[in-house]
Amino acid sequence: MQNIFEPEPVIKEPSGLSDRIQWLRDYYFRGTERAWNNEFTSWTTGTPWDIIYNELTFYIVPETYTLLNTLGASYLQAARPVALHPDFWNGSLTERRAWFVREVIVNHVPQEILPGDLLAGARFNVQTSLCFTKEESGAWQKLVKGKNGARAQMKWFHDHGYGNAGATCGHLIPGHERLLAIGWKGVHAELMSIYNALSDQEQSGSKGDQLKAMMTASTMARDLASRYKTLCENLAGKTQDKQRVTELRSMAANLNRVPWEPATTFWEAVQALWINHMLVMTDENYPGAGVSFGRVDQYLYPYYERSTRDGMPRDWAKEILKCFWIHANTAYDAMIRNGNQGITAGFGQLITLSGLGARGRDMTNDLTYIILEVIDEMSPILEPKPNVRLHQNSPEILLDKIVDMIESSQGAPFLLNFDERSMAGMMLEAEKAGLTDLINKDNVHEYAPVGCLENTMVGNDRSGTVDNNLNLLKAVELTLTGGKDLLPFCDPMTGKTEALRQDGPRTPDAASFKTWEDFWKAYAVQTRYIIQKCVDLYETSESIRARFFPTPYLSCLITGCARQGKDITQGGAQISFATLEAVTYATTVDSLLAIQYLVFDKKACTMTELVAALKANWQGYEVLQAIAKNRAPKYGRDDDKADTLARLVMQLWCDETWRHKTKVTSRQFRPGMLSWNYWAGDGYVMAASANGREKGQFLSNAICPSNGADSKGPTANTNSVGKVLGGKAADGRGDWQGYLNILPNGASHTITFNPSILRDPVHKDKFKAFLKGYTQNGGTALQINMLDPDMLKDAQAHPQDYRHLLVRITGYNAYFTTVGRELQNEVIERMSHNKF
Amino acid sequence: MTQHQAPKGIILEILRMSTEDGPGIRTTVFFKGCSLACEWCHNPESISSKPQIQWIKTGCIGCGICVETCPERALTKTPEGITIDRQLCTGCGLCTEECPTTAMELLGKKWNIHDLVRELVKDRVYFEQSCGGVTLSGGEAALQYDFCLALLKELRARGIQTALDTCGQVSQSVLAGLLPYVDILLYDLKEIDPEKHKKHTGAGNEKILANAVFAAHFKKTHPYPKTLWIRTPVIPDATDTVANIQGIGDFIHASLEGAVDRWELCAFNNLCRDKYQRLGMDWSFARTDLPERSRMEELTRIAKSRVSPSIVCWSGSTKLTKSTDKKTVGKTQPESNPLYNC
Repeated sequence: MQNIFEPEPVIKEPSGLSDRIQWLRDYYFRGTERAWNNEFTSWTTGTPWDIIYNELTFYIVPETYTLLNTLGASYLQAARPVALHPDFWNGSLTERRAWFVREVIVNHVPQEILPGDLLAGARFNVQTSLCFTKEESGAWQKLVKGKNGARAQMKWFHDHGYGNAGATCGHLIPGHERLLAIGWKGVHAELMSIYNALSDQEQSGSKGDQLKAMMTASTMARDLASRYKTLCENLAGKTQDKQRVTELRSMAANLNRVPWEPATTFWEAVQALWINHMLVMTDENYPGAGVSFGRVDQYLYPYYERSTRDGMPRDWAKEILKCFWIHANTAYDAMIRNGNQGITAGFGQLITLSGLGARGRDMTNDLTYIILEVIDEMSPILEPKPNVRLHQNSPEILLDKIVDMIESSQGAPFLLNFDERSMAGMMLEAEKAGLTDLINKDNVHEYAPVGCLENTMVGNDRSGTVDNNLNLLKAVELTLTGGKDLLPFCDPMTGKTEALRQDGPRTPDAASFKTWEDFWKAYAVQTRYIIQKCVDLYETSESIRARFFPTPYLSCLITGCARQGKDITQGGAQISFATLEAVTYATTVDSLLAIQYLVFDKKACTMTELVAALKANWQGYEVLQAIAKNRAPKYGRDDDKADTLARLVMQLWCDETWRHKTKVTSRQFRPGMLSWNYWAGDGYVMAASANGREKGQFLSNAICPSNGADSKGPTANTNSVGKVLGGKAADGRGDWQGYLNILPNGASHTITFNPSILRDPVHKDKFKAFLKGYTQNGGTALQINMLDPDMLKDAQAHPQDYRHLLVRITGYNAYFTTVGRELQNEVIERMSHNKF
Repeated sequence: MTQHQAPKGIILEILRMSTEDGPGIRTTVFFKGCSLACEWCHNPESISSKPQIQWIKTGCIGCGICVETCPERALTKTPEGITIDRQLCTGCGLCTEECPTTAMELLGKKWNIHDLVRELVKDRVYFEQSCGGVTLSGGEAALQYDFCLALLKELRARGIQTALDTCGQVSQSVLAGLLPYVDILLYDLKEIDPEKHKKHTGAGNEKILANAVFAAHFKKTHPYPKTLWIRTPVIPDATDTVANIQGIGDFIHASLEGAVDRWELCAFNNLCRDKYQRLGMDWSFARTDLPERSRMEELTRIAKSRVSPSIVCWSGSTKLTKSTDKKTVGKTQPESNPLYNC
């Protein structure tokens, strides 16, 4: 056998960085060795009943469940007391909170400027007291930690395989454009005028309290900037380097104006944007997941244009932006001692680039390219994460740049959003929720994704895009059992097994179903039940957040809160959906297809046998499992029959979702598909499924076909996704042009490509054409991964998961797992060296 | 064949989003059965026109259902897996229908035009965005003339661009019948020496060369085909001689002048040796290495010296060499491929 040497993949290196940026970047990646970091500091009112950690925000992170008590206790233990204003306890909760957060960030958290940095605003990660009175603290304890409190409900929901839900921070796009234009001064004046227009009674009521709190919060950025201004001046006085002195003086001048006054230059605008953004994370005590920027290349452009006219060199704009990039990455410092700086996954301080404007105009501009260059030169680095909006008329130059970046990043996650399909979904939600005054054909192009790909409007919209994560597959399980768990839950901590209970509706014994239609009817009943269950769970945490966790600073940045005198956590945003993200879609569809195939069409087994096989985790039923896996139809192959059932599944759960609103905040539920990492983790929670999956194997991710099911390649995969979202209207009259999109939030879709598709200009053109085709036939968002040697090695180890893996080496193509080891090694070696 | 009997095709595989079988994004239909039997063929399953069975180790759970199913008792379960007695196997495919895992696979399935066209139009938008379309390959698609013609006509009627990948070993009337419905003709010229051609492929090249001249003339005098690509496999110790490349080049220059849009030298591919094993076939090239990059470049230089240089390019994988300079990543194709119109 030929001697295969260890593959040495070429890792992308940053390039074109100035000494300044190179130093800052290197320093950042020194992680825990840094003298400076942005780790959480925690701050208390000093009361014996104080609570700091708002655990509700982490209910959607099952990995933290066992740590909730520890985290809660350690933030208290590490907290430093803050001397309170004499009137502190006289104010409402929201006023206390506004004052406390401002006091901490302005007067207690140290201000620093890193060497060479062109932007001020360093530490922002804090855990601040929830500012409770004794009574509030007691009430919170009971509602959260009581016997049937939020935590217990959440845990039951997750333990039994339903998914998770919780009222979570971030995941929205603040009104940055407006803030840059009017400054905090303008916001403050507006709040004042609204407050003054209130009746005396209103002023002393909850509206008045909220507005007063927001007025306090609206001075936080001004006071912090003032601190940094003084710091810059002091540093300038002590610095020898003349150029640096000039920079520091300019920074002081910037901070003298922004973010209080409107920005006038590009540097000021970026400085203001940074402080305005970082204080959202301060206000929410949350290190930034999904705190997104929206269309930066659009709203920063006027400042860029003006400064360019005034002589700003292009490279200087990039230098400022690169400092911004470094700052955004320090969000990861929040829990830096947990190792790895958390940089295995993006937090999703998402920026949106390019996309449609009014009247179908493409909005790509020079700043779009500058930002792409910045990302390219800084990479690999995770934040802020870009999502590039594409549409039918995206310019070729932009597509070329994207394809080049995908190639050079070797498949580092690269997100693309597709305008026509996305906008169709936004139009649908406007119609469904009666919001056509806020979202309509004249402004829907202003939408932008948050986090990764979750579509929302900008500056007036909080749609809870990660708050509800429901495993649709649970309804299949409950249909097979008439409303009980398939397997009794065994607590891994205590080893105690719970007795099976009638949790869901008592649908008929599955063995009694004569036809597929009987099964489907029962499945619909169980789907309705699991959605209701999720909605109820969310209500619990949403109502606690609305009562106990105001974020008055963030409320200033979101239109609707001031006018209504309502905090954003109380539904103050003009657009306030709660998104239900369905998880396990393809596993669900494939399981239903398998049941239809095995029991009703081919009669390969009886329903009773199938249920027994699932209870036994397929042990002893290997032939049946093989038929389920290999012979039953699957979603994701552009097979019209399978995709028709997939469409029905989609329609059913979406219809059920639209029926609900939160009670306490009146937020309309809307459907979406995002699975974060649940599809992996919950695979260990959920019982075996009828598609042949064993307990412990992964579920399907978002709208993607099941692992290994997309055997017909990327175009078939894409067509299936587009179809189940609604495809195009037969009469050409979709919700946006001909397009339909049943999921307004959008759907996460990942496709892995062979890197050989980008091996030369001719093939790059083919890849570009695929993206253009995706615009027509695909979903709302696409993440492109490139097949890498590691994945191929994993395929060698777990061939059953990679049956679809087609390897192309020019004229030769084969399913990787079907070829011998020696050839596999050769393919791996070629891939490692980009030699196709 | 009467009007009423719709022809059926024996199809090996339908490969979507193919990026290697002509311009743009394509769906390639691999027909089963070939009029040549090249020693180096990298799709050996496409040579015989009869259906064949193969067993793929991955995925087999050893249930033995195939053994029980086989009416000819051609299958045996051994510790190494399932063995197929090729003398007994009739290719009926019953075992592949009963196999729960698809480890037992039938190569060559019957398709009717209607179903096949429905499959092929699914990627229309990708074709349109890339100037791609459908490629009929094989095997030798033209051997299934009636089906092939009907399919080409259907695709043309639907505005889908077509390519025919042919070895040229077909009667001239067949070619004449198909060409009006072919946008791009991919034509193989493997070996200029008739004796060697016969030795390596089982047939002389007289008909192939004559058909090439016919096709080139047809292209010049008719609206279709619009594009003609000549492809030459560069096979170590077979077609990779200077004399052969010179000879083919001179033939192109003298006899196909002006009609050829691209002449592509395709490097030998040995990654298919497992396929031979699975089909129970010996392969004389099993131990042959890929050509070296320098050899491909040299032959390309020679090719360019015989014809208009802008039409020549080469493609394919070359022998891996351990690079001492780790930063150097070899390019496997020349940077400037000739452009094609669509």
